[in-house]
Amino acid sequence: MKLSNEKILSMYDTMLRIRKFEEKAMGLFAEGEIPGFVHLYLGEEAVATGACANLEKDDFITSTHRGHGHIIAKGGDINFMMAELYGKETGYCKGKGGSMHIADRSKGILGANGIVGAGHNIAAGAGLSVKYRGTDQVVLCFFGDGSTNQSTFHEALNLSSIWKLPVVFICENNGYGISMSQDRHQAIKDVSDRAVAYNIPGVTVDGNDVFAVYEAVNEAAKRARKNQGPTLVECKTYRHRGHFEGDPTMYRTDEELQEWLEKDPVKRMQQFMLDNDIASQADLDQKGAEVDAIIATAVKFAQDSPKPSLESAVENVYSDIVEEVKVR
Amino acid sequence: MTTIGIIANPASGKDIRRLVSHATVIDNNEKVNIIERIILGAQTFGVKKIYVMPDSFMMGYKVTEKLELSGELKVDIEILDMKIKASPKDTQTAAALLEEMQVGCIVVLGGDGTHRLVAKSINKVPLIGISTGTNNAYPKMLEGTVAGMAAAAAATNAIDYETYCERDKIIEVYKNGELVDISLMDAVVSDEIYIGAKAIWDLKTIQHIVVSSCHPASIGFSSILGANIKIDASDDFGASLKINSGDNHFLAPIAAGAIVEVTSEEIQKIELGETFYLEPDYKGMIALDGEREVGFEAGDRLGFKIVRNGPRHVVVERILESALENGFFQR
Repeated sequence: MKLSNEKILSMYDTMLRIRKFEEKAMGLFAEGEIPGFVHLYLGEEAVATGACANLEKDDFITSTHRGHGHIIAKGGDINFMMAELYGKETGYCKGKGGSMHIADRSKGILGANGIVGAGHNIAAGAGLSVKYRGTDQVVLCFFGDGSTNQSTFHEALNLSSIWKLPVVFICENNGYGISMSQDRHQAIKDVSDRAVAYNIPGVTVDGNDVFAVYEAVNEAAKRARKNQGPTLVECKTYRHRGHFEGDPTMYRTDEELQEWLEKDPVKRMQQFMLDNDIASQADLDQKGAEVDAIIATAVKFAQDSPKPSLESAVENVYSDIVEEVKVR
Repeated sequence: MTTIGIIANPASGKDIRRLVSHATVIDNNEKVNIIERIILGAQTFGVKKIYVMPDSFMMGYKVTEKLELSGELKVDIEILDMKIKASPKDTQTAAALLEEMQVGCIVVLGGDGTHRLVAKSINKVPLIGISTGTNNAYPKMLEGTVAGMAAAAAATNAIDYETYCERDKIIEVYKNGELVDISLMDAVVSDEIYIGAKAIWDLKTIQHIVVSSCHPASIGFSSILGANIKIDASDDFGASLKINSGDNHFLAPIAAGAIVEVTSEEIQKIELGETFYLEPDYKGMIALDGEREVGFEAGDRLGFKIVRNGPRHVVVERILESALENGFFQR
């Protein structure tokens, strides 16, 4: 599969935005600037980037608690994201959702999700809507290896298979469900094996190689758009940080982390572009500075934004019982 | 002591060709079942010890546990002492260890790509290939029990197994005069520039195909030549073909269920020991036995040399026929 230099540069831009957004969020959280929890996507950038590079604006994604990368890759607004992490009124959820609930229906982002496995059936539902409306949209459903033990995974694959829904199920297998290694939580090593049970194709690719992910999701999305049904794409990857910021990661070794750092998807992409004369070191430096500026702007936007007022505490939280809550 | 080795690639049968063709998923539990039958076949016919490559799915441990629980395990099973990298390197390391130990036979579960990795590490120990991959021109669909029996026949030296094995041809791949890799069945020159999902399937990107053998009954890229000419494993030549130009139009099964129309120039024979050269004016990748492996720059001089220096494979039917004549089955 051939890709233009323009497309490759665009994918690198996305990966770098994710990388630098997450690095900034990591630092801000450590400084106590950001409240709540953050689950960082550092190390997994190639998955969201390679997958979403196949999408149109009106296609859909469902995300997870580790959702910043997916949202950036699908075109989410970085200013609104950062403001949401800060709990500010200008944030995606008006400062009331935080990191794990960012959504943007205008861009087909059907939400990050704090509940493990909750995205599977939202994706199947979106797929059913596409089928019902007869469009050629596709739904990418991102989830981790731990969630494939949830009933929702099996329900969604089953229904999507039976109804041939245009959903690409993308397992980001980073080897751990919180602190539980995959060896301890399931009796298989390749989640793609589970596709057989639902009579759909299942493939495993190197999730730290953006081109491998792009190619697999490209073919899966083509199938989906041609009414040939869902696909399970497993991307083997690794999170550089703990499950959440503050996680001491006692469950994994430094040696294991080091092995994966050597397979860093961003560095691999940079090396590929240098080796193939797609970008020079000066180009990469310039791009780095550009993205740094974008992230700095987002931080300033968030810092300068107001906090939500006390009076708005229950607004936009419940859609239909606001009056009842107010009475209480 | 009569020993054999088993190498089962946990990653075979799961690549992107499930999407771009009609290939099926071979899950690792099925590979465990096949290993189980190899062990049962081998131990019944005199194998005393079986070494198994460790892997992330722990196939060797699973089979051992199952056969111990059922009380059927009679042979000593040892998982090779090596660090798992969960990469193709594991297969090469295991094959090298088994070669060093001089086990009587190695049974390999995988596709052409897996067998290519084994071929890079062994020379003396004979192998039996079982297809659990996608496009398998080299390994065959073979029942595990029979593979175990044939491995036992080869390893016990009950018969002259030298006679019942064949030395394979390989393609040595050179870049600017330096040997960079090998392939067992085919080397495909493509103008794709990244490895990506590894498997190659887009005919439009392919310029040249070099094969050591080909047959109309084979599948994969060697089938493109196999649709024009038959080159047996025993023939002392290979061939090359330039596609996407010329006047020759034909159909070929390049992947499971994927029969495509191909346009080509005339086939060029490559004699054993001869090197076929290309100097592409484009940047690209060489896919070895179906997987993108070697990158090259425009202007690089690529060489493809057919040599008979590959692994020695057991001709299963022949060795078991000989075993029959020698009373191997009698008790």
